[in-house]
Amino acid sequence: MRIINTIRLVTMLSAGLAIQQPLHAAESSDRFVFVGYGDVKYESADVAGTDAFSARFVPIFLFSLNDKMHVEAELEVGLNEDGETETELEYADIHYFLNDNTTITAGKFLLPFGQFSANWHPSWINRSIWTPGIYGAHGSSQAMDPMLPILSDVGVAAQQVYQVGSAKVFFDVFMTNGPRSEAEHDEEEVVEDDHDIAFARLFSPTTTLDPDVDEDEHGEAFPEVEFEATSSDNNSNKAFGGRIAVAFLPSIEIGTSYYQGAYDEGGQLDIRANGIDINLISTHAILRGEYIRTETDAFVERDHEDVIDSFSRNGWFLQGTFFVGHLFEELGSTEIVIEHAQTKKVEEAERWMVGINYWLDPRSVIKVGYEDTDVADGPDDKRFAVQFSYGF
Amino acid sequence: MKNQSIINIFVLFASLFASLHVHSSEPLSGAELINNNCARCHNSRPIQEFSMSEWKVIMPHMREKAHLTGTEVQAILNFMEIAATPAKAVKVIEPVTIAVDPREVLTRYGCQGCHQVQGAGGTLGPSLDNVISDRGKAFFLRKVKEPQFNNASSAMPQMPITDEELEVLAEFLSPK
Repeated sequence: MRIINTIRLVTMLSAGLAIQQPLHAAESSDRFVFVGYGDVKYESADVAGTDAFSARFVPIFLFSLNDKMHVEAELEVGLNEDGETETELEYADIHYFLNDNTTITAGKFLLPFGQFSANWHPSWINRSIWTPGIYGAHGSSQAMDPMLPILSDVGVAAQQVYQVGSAKVFFDVFMTNGPRSEAEHDEEEVVEDDHDIAFARLFSPTTTLDPDVDEDEHGEAFPEVEFEATSSDNNSNKAFGGRIAVAFLPSIEIGTSYYQGAYDEGGQLDIRANGIDINLISTHAILRGEYIRTETDAFVERDHEDVIDSFSRNGWFLQGTFFVGHLFEELGSTEIVIEHAQTKKVEEAERWMVGINYWLDPRSVIKVGYEDTDVADGPDDKRFAVQFSYGF
Repeated sequence: MKNQSIINIFVLFASLFASLHVHSSEPLSGAELINNNCARCHNSRPIQEFSMSEWKVIMPHMREKAHLTGTEVQAILNFMEIAATPAKAVKVIEPVTIAVDPREVLTRYGCQGCHQVQGAGGTLGPSLDNVISDRGKAFFLRKVKEPQFNNASSAMPQMPITDEELEVLAEFLSPK
């Protein structure tokens, strides 16, 4: 199986390289740029009982090897509750610009599933202080259990861009190491950060998955799946997926995404996800949203036999940003942000978020936000936060 | 087996995509591309924030993020070159010495990449049709010279426009 996959991979890359355009050295002698973003946040959270400042620094290193190859890497550096410095490799990959409209990417890259992970997660870009309720990655500590907490993974990807009349069409496909069963990890391992906690809870439902089936039965049958990227794979099946999007720029972009990956050692149990994302941009407002539906395979006992069954879950968020400063000049660069998110079937929850943003310049913003999360079977959560985010 | 079939499809599609080329015969406006793409995710960054050599490293990063083609990236860099290096741009762009055509000025500096004029143009910035009747000529002249004077988050670049060109543009946009 592994050899077959390798042959397929080599075939794909060979087909591309066979028609590559000539390689030219970069004209510029300046090939390295250091950019990035960071934020400082004060947050008061009910359930977590926290009331503290926190800070992150996220440098991005860009390096042009030549006009065909580009290297990028992003680190997230922050302090944990014990004062220790935590460093996480968000992505580290190389782009190969095969031709005018084709890009091949290899390494650890942001997954092109939906738009939040790939494009909207940096704090100076995300109009909200928090990640949307259906996402749990990127240091999000939240009352809502995420739908598909994947930010990046290790593998290869290909991207194509087409101009079709007045529309642009985007194709993204990827193949990565994929998820694994949480149970395969050391049982004594302490899950420390919010990232892993979110993953662990995702498939450890405390509520009945199906009204017609006993809760305990499902609770035992349902495994825990971990998505955090590693340089290993617990099975020979690679996760794969992609996104197709149509954009009528500069106003509308609509995409649909797919993800599938086996998480058990035998490669029999998959998690599958479908997503729809929308991004509407106008002079006075931005509307962003995503819907995700997941199906997770698990062994369940039926008639004294273990069979594979699938359990579904879905969730969505919609975020509106209104440039009130465009309507009332005295408000300057002030925005109002309203977001609603829901998760259903397992760990049902509903969240409202309101916020006010004030931009000091195009890449520096002070955000004030309040969110109220209603959890169906668990403590509700209320949070207030002030965040100063900057891109550089 | 199910996975194998899907991976086969993936490999097939990936190989096909890699072999296709799409070229546009129409010249691209760098200003329009900035209007159309940057604000999809974030505020447009001031062109003057980075040097041109830095932009040449940053834009390949954005090419993948924003699904831009190589041709589009080059068009954006060409526009940035004009906006970011006024002294050089004056040499690159032949100075207008005879009768200045306001429409040529609009085109020269990519104004309609972000602003609408008589129904045509981008939407990143406000329409210019009523800017002078609503805000006055003094506001317009200062806004072009100092784009961030009234809005710190404005992404409008400071263009190397001459006083003569600016006057012609103000006259063109004034209520008749």
